[in-house]
Amino acid sequence: MQRVKNIDYDEDDVYSEEEEYHEEPSYTDEDRESFTALTPVVRAELQESGLQASDKEIEEALWHYYWHVGKSVAYLKNSRTPRPQQPQQGKKDKEKPKSKFDQAAEESAKKAGCMIPFPSTASDWFQGISWSVIPLGIQGELVPAFAAYPRPQLLGGSSKLAKLAEERRKKAAASQAAPAAPSGALGSLDRLSKSKDVKENVLPPTMPEPRKYPIRQKREPTPPPKEPSPEPEEATEDLPDLRASPTEFAKTMATHAAPSQVAEAAETHMDSIFRSSSNEDPFKGPSPDDTVMRAQWHSKGINKHARKPSDGLLIKKTEALKLEPKIKSKGLDVPKLWAEGRASRKSAAAFVVIGHVDHGKSTLMGRLLLDTGAVAQRDIDKYAALLIPHTFVSMLINARRYQKQATELNKSSFALAWVMDTGSEERERGITVDIAQHPFSTLTTDFTVLDAPGHRDFVPNMLAGASMADLAVLVVDANQLESGMKGQTREHILLAKACGLERVVVAVNKLDATTPTAWDENTFQSVRSGVQKLLTSVGFQDPNISFVPCSGLSGTNVVNPAPSTGPTAWVASTSGTILQQLESSPPTSPPEELVKAPLRLQITDVFRGSITNPISVSGRLAAGNVQIGDTVLTQPSGEKAIVKGIEISAEPREWAVAGELVTLHLSDIDPVHLRAGDVLCSVDKPVAIVRNFVAQVTAMEALLPQGVDVHVGRLHVPGSVAALISTVDANGEVVRKKPRVVKGGDTANVKVSLQEGAPLAVGDRIILRSGGSTIAAGQVDRTGS
Amino acid sequence: MRLIKQNIEHKDGSGTATLLPEEPEDMWHAYNLIRPNDLLRASAMRKIITESGAGSRSVERVHTTLTIRVTKLDFDPQASQLHVSGRVAEENKHVKLGGYHTLDLELQRNFTLEKNEGWDSVAIDTLKEAVSQDAKAQLWAIVMQEGLANICLITEHQTILRQRVEVSLPKKRAGSTDHDKALQKFFQTTFDSVLRQIDLANPKPLLLASPGFTASSFQQFIKTQAATGANKQLQQFLPKIIVAHSASAHLHSLSEVLSSQAVTSKLSDTKFARETQLMERFFELMRNDDARAWYGPKECEAAVERGAVGKGGGVLLISNALFRSQNIATRQRWVKLVDEVKEQGGEVRVLSSMHESGKRLEGLGGIAAILTFPIEDLNDGDDEGGIEDDVFANGDGDDHVNGFEGRREHYEDIEI
Ligand SMILES: Nc1nc2c(ncn2[C@@H]2O[C@H](COP(=O)(O)OP(=O)(O)O)[C@@H](O)[C@H]2O)c(=O)[nH]1
Ligand SMILES: [Mg+2]
Repeated sequence: MQRVKNIDYDEDDVYSEEEEYHEEPSYTDEDRESFTALTPVVRAELQESGLQASDKEIEEALWHYYWHVGKSVAYLKNSRTPRPQQPQQGKKDKEKPKSKFDQAAEESAKKAGCMIPFPSTASDWFQGISWSVIPLGIQGELVPAFAAYPRPQLLGGSSKLAKLAEERRKKAAASQAAPAAPSGALGSLDRLSKSKDVKENVLPPTMPEPRKYPIRQKREPTPPPKEPSPEPEEATEDLPDLRASPTEFAKTMATHAAPSQVAEAAETHMDSIFRSSSNEDPFKGPSPDDTVMRAQWHSKGINKHARKPSDGLLIKKTEALKLEPKIKSKGLDVPKLWAEGRASRKSAAAFVVIGHVDHGKSTLMGRLLLDTGAVAQRDIDKYAALLIPHTFVSMLINARRYQKQATELNKSSFALAWVMDTGSEERERGITVDIAQHPFSTLTTDFTVLDAPGHRDFVPNMLAGASMADLAVLVVDANQLESGMKGQTREHILLAKACGLERVVVAVNKLDATTPTAWDENTFQSVRSGVQKLLTSVGFQDPNISFVPCSGLSGTNVVNPAPSTGPTAWVASTSGTILQQLESSPPTSPPEELVKAPLRLQITDVFRGSITNPISVSGRLAAGNVQIGDTVLTQPSGEKAIVKGIEISAEPREWAVAGELVTLHLSDIDPVHLRAGDVLCSVDKPVAIVRNFVAQVTAMEALLPQGVDVHVGRLHVPGSVAALISTVDANGEVVRKKPRVVKGGDTANVKVSLQEGAPLAVGDRIILRSGGSTIAAGQVDRTGS
Repeated sequence: MRLIKQNIEHKDGSGTATLLPEEPEDMWHAYNLIRPNDLLRASAMRKIITESGAGSRSVERVHTTLTIRVTKLDFDPQASQLHVSGRVAEENKHVKLGGYHTLDLELQRNFTLEKNEGWDSVAIDTLKEAVSQDAKAQLWAIVMQEGLANICLITEHQTILRQRVEVSLPKKRAGSTDHDKALQKFFQTTFDSVLRQIDLANPKPLLLASPGFTASSFQQFIKTQAATGANKQLQQFLPKIIVAHSASAHLHSLSEVLSSQAVTSKLSDTKFARETQLMERFFELMRNDDARAWYGPKECEAAVERGAVGKGGGVLLISNALFRSQNIATRQRWVKLVDEVKEQGGEVRVLSSMHESGKRLEGLGGIAAILTFPIEDLNDGDDEGGIEDDVFANGDGDDHVNGFEGRREHYEDIEI
C-alpha cells in the first residue's frame, strides 16, 4: 500500500523517492543480498558433509561470521547437534529491520533456488512482474526485487562509519539481553534519541496520503504497529518543499507512516545515530549556528520551506510552516577567513584517474582507499562475497572444488573496483560508467579521488571528472600499452591537457602480470618511454610527469612500498609509491583574486543529499566563494536559490572558496531549474547565456563546418562548427583566413553555434566531439549572443 | 502524392499540374514545389459573414476553390502542415480579387499549380520524386543517453523530431538507489511517449541508439513491458526493434547511426543510402584535404565552370533548401548549375534539407562537389572575406536554415 502512494508522487517529483532511500548505506539490505548469494554455497558445503540446514540457520551463521563461508560452514557443522544459541539471537536482531516486502522477496528468492539469473539490465529486475494488470502505482512494490540481487549500498562509507557499523553488529550479536520483541533492532540507546511520540505509530498503514504533500509523508518511515519504536528524527525535521500549509489530515499523515517502512525507519535511525559526528546536515547537532537558528526560528515572514532546529526541538508542524526561518547569511568575510587560515590549513587536492578501459583504474583506487584506511577491509570482503555471480553458485553445487577457485579469483579481482563502481549497472557489467568521487586523507593532504570511466562511450563523464581535478593519475596496463595508445590512454591524455591539467602521475599498472615473469623491469621502461613521448607531445612538461610501477590488485607500490628483494627489487630505484607521488604534488592554492571573484560553480550532479536536504548540487567552485545563507543564481534557468548548507568531503562547512569540491544544499528553488552542466553564479555578476562563440581550438582530427557535441566540463550540448575563421600558428598569428578544412594538429579560430544557449564565459575550456571521438579542444575566445 | 493531370510543356515549362496529397510527407513535397509568385488553386474554407437588416450577423463557413498568387510558404514539419499565403488571383462570389488569403493544403484534396517562371528541370525532378509510388521506407528512431531521448520519425525525405524526453538523473551515489529509480522512471516516460507516437496496429521499425547500455537497457525495458502485459500488439512489435550505437543522444548523431550497416540493410532505401554514402565520401576526401572535394557556392560554381564535375565521377551535392530561396535569381543560379553538371555527365544529388545527410550539407553552405580531378586554388581571392568581423552577424534564421532551427518551435519538451 505504502508504495502505491509513493509511485504516484514519484511521477511528479524525481527527488521525492521512497522511504527506503538511505542517507547512509543500509546494512540490512546488504545482508539480504549476501544471503541470497551465499546461502546456496553454504548449503552445498553442508550437503557434501551430509548435513542439512535451513536457510535461516545458514543466514544466521553467515551473518554471525561476517559472510565468511568457511567459518559459517564449520560453525554449522559443529553446531549440528547442539543447537546454536548465539546466532539465533544475532539473527533476531538483524532480521527485525526487514520489511515484509524484503522478507517476501528474500523468500521468493529462496524458493527460486540458487538459479536466479543474474540480471543483465535494470529492467531485468522486473522480469516476471505483471505490470499491466497492476495499477501503475503499484509498480513501486517491485522494489524488493532488488533485494534478491547483490546491490550493496555501502561504499562511500568512511572507515569511521564502517567501524561504527561493525560495532553495531557486534553489539547486536552479543547482546543476548536485548529486548527482543518490542524494539527490534532499535536498542534502548536508539529510543533515547527518538524525537517523536510513539503513539503515532498506531495509525493504520493503509491510510491514503494526500497527494498534495508528497515528499513528507513518503519519506517518513515508521515502525510497524505491533512493535512501537521510535521514529527517526528526520521525520520531524522533514518539512521543506511544502508549497502550502497542509490540511489537518495531511498534517496527521505527515507524522505517521506505514509499518512496511519499519525496516527503513530503523536503519535510517540507526545510521543517523551512529554517524552523528559526520552528519550531512550541517545544522544538525549542537553547532554555533543553533542559537542563531533558534532566534530566526521565530522571526516573522512566511517561508515555504520549513526547517526544524536540529536539536529535536518540538514544534507543531503548522507553526513550523509559518515561522520557518529564512536562512540568513552571517555576512562572513570569506576571503579574509580563507587568507587567515591559509597557513594552518591542511592542503587539499583532487585528482582524476584516467586511462583506457580495463587498465585497472577503479581497482587501483579501491586499493588506495583501502590501504589509506578510507575504506575498511571488511567492506571489500563483503563485496567479494557478493561478487560470486549467481550462475557460479549453481555450478558450485556440482563441481564445488574446482569452481571455488574460479570464484575466488573473480572475487578478488573485482571487489576493489566496487569501492568505485557503485552503480548497479557498473557492477553488473564490471565497467565504470560515471565519475566516482571519494575523499581520503593522509597526514599531509586531504585528497579527493575522481575515478573516471575508461570506455570511449563515457568520455563525456570523464570530462566532468577532469574538469574538477587538480591533477591526473594516468593508469596504464603495462601489458596492454598498444590498445590504450590507440584508444583512451591517448584520448584521455589529450583531454586532461585540454581541461587544463598540468601534472600527471603515471601508474604503470598490473606489473604483477607481466610476461614472461612478473615485475619485468623492461616492460616498465618501455611503457614509460612510450607514454612519456605522448605526454610530452601533448604539452605536459617533464617535471610534471612521474612514473610509478605498481599493481593495484596486489597493492604493491600503491601505498605500501614494494618488497626490496625479489622481483620487485628494482622498484626501489623509481620514484616511490603512488601515494608518495600524490603527496609530493604541490597542492593548489587559488590566487586571492580568484577567491574574491564572482561565484562560478558548474553543477556536476543534482541529487537528494539527505532527507533534510532534498535539493543538493555538487561541483567544483571554479571562482569566488560561497557561505551559508548566500543567494545564488543558476544559469541558464535564471532562477535564484538559497544556500542552506555546505559540505566538503562530507563535512559540514560554513563557507567554501574557489578550487574546492563542494556539495551545496539549496532551498527556495524547484529542482526542475537545476541540471548537471548548469552554472551556479553570483546574482550580481551572473554568467552570460551564450549561443554563438568564437573559440581557438586545436584540431585532433580534420575539422569542417559540421555538427558537434560541445563539452564544457559536465556540460554536454549539441551544436555545430558554424564557420572556420582562420588557422593560426603557435604565436597566434593568422596563417590562413577561411580555411576550407582545419587539419588534425592545426590550431584555428572557429565559430561555434549551440542549438540552445548555455552558460559560457571567455576562457572556458571547450571540447568538440563528433561520432564518439574528440575532434578539437580549446578555449572560448569571444562570445556572441 | 498522386498526379491527377498535367499539361506541362517540356520546351518552355509552361502548363499546370494537378496533384493529390495522400500522406503527410506529401506536404513536404508541396513545400518544395510551390514557390512565391506561382499560381495555386486549391480548396479553401471561407467564413462568410452576412449582416441582415436587423443588425444581426450570421457566420457561415463555405467550401470554395481559390486561386492565389503565392507570396509566402510556411511549413510545419512537426504537424506536416503547409500554409500557403497569397493574393486572390481569380474572383469568385466569396472572395475579391487581390484579397489576401492563406490556403492550408489538405490531404485528399486536389491542388493545381502553375509555375510563374515555368517548370524548370529541378521542379520537374521534384515533381517526379513527389509522385513516385515506390514503397516508402519509414522508421522510428530514438537517440538516447541516460536522461535524454529524442524520438524521431524518419521518412524517405525527412527526419522529424516528434518528442524530446529530458529527465534530470541524479548520478550514482554510494548507498543510494536514486539513480536507478530515476533511470527506470526515465524509461517509463520515454516508453509512454513512444506509445503515444507509434501506431502499434501498423508499426514501422523502431531504432534505438545510444552510447553505452542505455538503448539495450531500454529495449529490455520494452520487452519486459510486453512480456508482462496483455498488449498483444506490443509483443508483435518487439522483433521490429533494432538496437544500434550512437555517440550521443543529440540528433546529429543520427547520421552516424543511419549510415551504419545494421540500419541501412533494414532501410533498403536506395536514395537515402546513396546520399549517405556520397556524403561520407565527401567528408573523407575533405579530411584528407584532398583537392577533389570542395564545398561552398563559389567554389562549386568555379569547379563546374572548369568542367571538373562531369563524367567520370563528378558529383554535385545540393540541398533543396537552396531552391526554396525567396529570390528567383538565386534559384535560377542553382538550377543552371544543376543543368550544367548534368550536361557534363556528372551526378546531381538534391538532398533533403530535413534529412541527416542534407543537414550535414547545410553546414557546408548547402552545396558540395566531388571533382573528377583535383583543383588546388578554387577559393583563392576569397581570402578577404569579412567573416571575422561579422562572425556573429549572420547567425541563423536565414531561409536556408531549416533543419533543427525550423523545428525547434514545434517540438514538445517534456521536462521532468
Ligand atoms: N593482474 C592484475 N589485474 C588487475 C590489476 N588491476 C586491475 N586488474 C584487473 O583488470 C580488470 C579491470 O579493472 P578495473 O579496475 O575495472 O579497470 P578500469 O576499467 O580501468 O577501472 C579487472 O578484472 C581487474 O581485476 C592489477 O594490478 N593486476
Ligand atoms: Mg573503472
